[in-house]
Amino acid sequence: MAHSPVESYVLPSSPEHRSWIALLRREAPWVGGLTLAALAILMRYGHDFGYWQYLVLASWYAGLLAAGIAWRPLQWATIAAVLPALFAVWLYSDGQTPADNLLLRYVLQGVAAVYWMSAALLAATALYIAYVVTAKATLGRLASALTWVGVIFGFIGLGVRWRETYLGHPDWGHIPVSNLWEVMVLFCASTALFWLYYEQRNRARGLGAFVMPLVGISVGFLLWLTLAQHMDRIEPLIPALQSFWMKLHVPMMFVGYANFTIASLVGLAYLLTQRSELRGGRLARTLPPLEVQDDVMYKAIALGFLFFTVATILGAVWAARAWGGFWSWDPKETWALIVWLNYAGYLHARVVKGWHGRSMAWWSFMSLWVVTFCFLGVNMFLSGLHSYGKL
Amino acid sequence: MQAQTKVMTRERSQWRLLGSFLGSMRLAVSLLVLLAIASIIGTILSQQQPYSNYALQFGPFWFAVFRTLGLYDVYRTAWYTGIVAFLVLSTATCVTRNTPRMLRDIREFPLRQRENALRAQPQVVEMLAAEDPDDLTRRLAQTLRASGFRPRLLQEGDTQYLAARKGKYHRLGYFLTHIAIIVICAAALYNADVPVKWAELTGSLRPATDFDLPLSKIPPSAFMPVHNPAYRGIITLPEGQTADAVFELAGNGYLVQPLPFRIHLKAFHIQYYSTGMPKDFVSDVVLYSPQGKVLKEGAIRVNHPMSYDGVDIYQSSFSDGGSLLTMRSYLLGAADGHSAELQGRVGQTLHAGNSGYSLQLKNFELYNIVPRSAVGEPSDPRHPTVNLGPSFTYVVRDPQGGGAEMKTYMQPITRGGQGFFVQGYRRSLGDPYQYVYIPTGPAGSIHLFMAYLAALQKAAKEGANASPALFSAVFDRVAARAAPDWTSAQKERFVEASLQALAGLHDYPVPFVLTLSQFDHRWAAGLQVTKWPGTTLIYWGCVALVLGIFILFYLPQQKVWAQIQRRADGGSRLLLGAGADRNRLDFARQFARWRAALEAAGAQTISSRETHEEVHHGP
Repeated sequence: MAHSPVESYVLPSSPEHRSWIALLRREAPWVGGLTLAALAILMRYGHDFGYWQYLVLASWYAGLLAAGIAWRPLQWATIAAVLPALFAVWLYSDGQTPADNLLLRYVLQGVAAVYWMSAALLAATALYIAYVVTAKATLGRLASALTWVGVIFGFIGLGVRWRETYLGHPDWGHIPVSNLWEVMVLFCASTALFWLYYEQRNRARGLGAFVMPLVGISVGFLLWLTLAQHMDRIEPLIPALQSFWMKLHVPMMFVGYANFTIASLVGLAYLLTQRSELRGGRLARTLPPLEVQDDVMYKAIALGFLFFTVATILGAVWAARAWGGFWSWDPKETWALIVWLNYAGYLHARVVKGWHGRSMAWWSFMSLWVVTFCFLGVNMFLSGLHSYGKL
Repeated sequence: MQAQTKVMTRERSQWRLLGSFLGSMRLAVSLLVLLAIASIIGTILSQQQPYSNYALQFGPFWFAVFRTLGLYDVYRTAWYTGIVAFLVLSTATCVTRNTPRMLRDIREFPLRQRENALRAQPQVVEMLAAEDPDDLTRRLAQTLRASGFRPRLLQEGDTQYLAARKGKYHRLGYFLTHIAIIVICAAALYNADVPVKWAELTGSLRPATDFDLPLSKIPPSAFMPVHNPAYRGIITLPEGQTADAVFELAGNGYLVQPLPFRIHLKAFHIQYYSTGMPKDFVSDVVLYSPQGKVLKEGAIRVNHPMSYDGVDIYQSSFSDGGSLLTMRSYLLGAADGHSAELQGRVGQTLHAGNSGYSLQLKNFELYNIVPRSAVGEPSDPRHPTVNLGPSFTYVVRDPQGGGAEMKTYMQPITRGGQGFFVQGYRRSLGDPYQYVYIPTGPAGSIHLFMAYLAALQKAAKEGANASPALFSAVFDRVAARAAPDWTSAQKERFVEASLQALAGLHDYPVPFVLTLSQFDHRWAAGLQVTKWPGTTLIYWGCVALVLGIFILFYLPQQKVWAQIQRRADGGSRLLLGAGADRNRLDFARQFARWRAALEAAGAQTISSRETHEEVHHGP
């Protein structure tokens, strides 16, 4: 301001306003625990780390740290998943096997934990729907609790399976995100986890009746893969997949898929709620306000877009190492680009043009087909370099 | 003079019109969606196949139509590149047009807003408090600071102005993302080797179409310059050989890229898991300068390329590199099971004397650990796979022009104590293999069976009637010479197996059987060689893109202004206005918390206004 007659000044701040110190003090157990865990991993495995392993560890550390601070329930969930998984790993290293240890056989073994996850998530799906139909708060709380159980079992299953890939065949070991079965587990668990986040952040429990049925369908597909296709068998990795990039590329991709899926189902909820509002129906009474639904939709897409971008870039970097070109117009790559362009268009329309409401809900909902095709359709109907995701 | 000004104004306004068209959001969104839809084509139609495949698939008419549209290599057609270029142009226009405004926005933040402007903010509240203005200001500053703002104060007479903003650099996110897209596309264009594409277009570079020519015979018009800035080529290199050029597919043909060094393949090997699945493919390679000096030596594995002087070499595939096969050929029905030795390299075509038959040795595979069902074996959950040892494949052409593809396994399989030689055959490439199982005698050879077959044919010619007694009598005679120490159980098994094999031979397409007695295996490695100087730039572009997206979504710009005036009774009046350019719902919640905090401290709201965003329903 050119004509400012008096000098302006920054108001002095007192020490208690240094909010990040307060934050660190409040989160000391989480920060400390996570740091200790990272150090323990470094002590145990650090001697044969290359720079990339430091990179992977640092990414997981920073990611979990930030996510746990941003959303405290994640701290408890992490502990609830890590401790049993570590216990199972200890049982294995103690020489016990699922054949002679009942706990391993029926609960902690990778596949068993996944069955528990499936049961919990299916029950949660039914409860979410019952909650919206009856509007009984107890049902809703139970639905959320069961979703938590499912998520925790899902990650226990993945963690224990990671160890199990090494058992018997040390040279087979790999992070369990290498075939369709393993990534379906990851998809179910992470979609449910992100759903819990949006639910609690926005007091939007009713929307679970729209999001969780898709998780339920995925669980059904997963069970079919297990029982009919026996895809839960641990198999060694083909040479192209033996890369540390897999540890970053695949999980990040699934953060993207999970968020996009949630956004599109919230889009569907938005459309139905709006209809119900016009007719004075039940949905409008049990679901959160349209404004909130619209906001959840946007935030899920924004977070998904960020991770999808990073994952696609990491995929390109990996492709450059494995196939000699960071972009080969392989069908999976091209579909990832299509998904990316689709959401880039969505975000431009939403953020810059300020489009809201019905048309954007339609856009978000229809994007489900694009995302699903990229995730599953490409592997089923098209051939290409990503063929290991096949049935 | 006046007319000229008018023309200039019109021109300028035309430019402005063009600029606002190119920079418009509607165009950008349309282009993003259009590009997404165009990209689908290349995923439905498999790209860069030989033209003959497409011709077969679509018929001559549609083949020509699709070729004209460039659908066989969509992502490199002019129209697809055109859409991308248009998008980049639109992005660049947008960046250029918005830069001054956004820079101003980052630099300038007025501490004082006129009352009207303050009241026009999305969130506004007017409050009265009994407190002294200084106290109220301090309280407000504290509230804002607790939310992470750093308020600044301006005193003007009796009025205090308080202002704060968060996310000053929010606009940077816009620059980073949009400039990243331009950088990535430009670098990709550079990697795509524009000069060569141009030379192809003008005709000074012509792809060769005959894939069987030796390097020395390829016309010079298909050679790219050695100092080509960017390329991506492939070479199939047999063990022990050296190459100094790679091939790049171009339309229906290929171009040759000479390399600044020579690649020598010392050895290629495959490591296996215990299941028989390949674990790794490794090429041991030496790079020589054209003068023969060793430049670099090492192993190239999948996911572990070798780099030298900006050129990267990747393990991309493998095949047989001309293994030397020693075979034994048995003519069906030749007396005493007489056989002859044959030798040839994979890739060669052998002529069987003057019989008119030719054998093209197609392939050799060192390991064949296959599911039992693949060779017609009953399944066994304990041993799901069966090891058939090395195999070779050859194509037989008979004098009448018929043909068949044969696949011969070196290691016999065992069923119920009897060994069987496994021979696969098929009359057409699309068919599955059918198998005959020929019982093996001493030393795992099929000689005994062949001798038995000849003896049976001789007996039949002499008028003997087929009966079990005859079969065992003939066999006893043959076995007396070839397998004198066999027990009767062994003989019985062999005769039974032979009769089954005879039935299987009815449909056998050629009058001879080839077995593999020795091999000198030689691999060929498929290596991909690339030079992409733009890659580093692309990676930096990617970093900028991710950083930009993060800033855009998670560091929104939030602005707060307050005007605090002393009232006549010693109390104060507060006018607070604020707004955010992202996550407005969150910001509205935060604003409500501030208001509640002030109210809890005794301030009284006299008016408030929340401007809801206009709800657009899209285009």
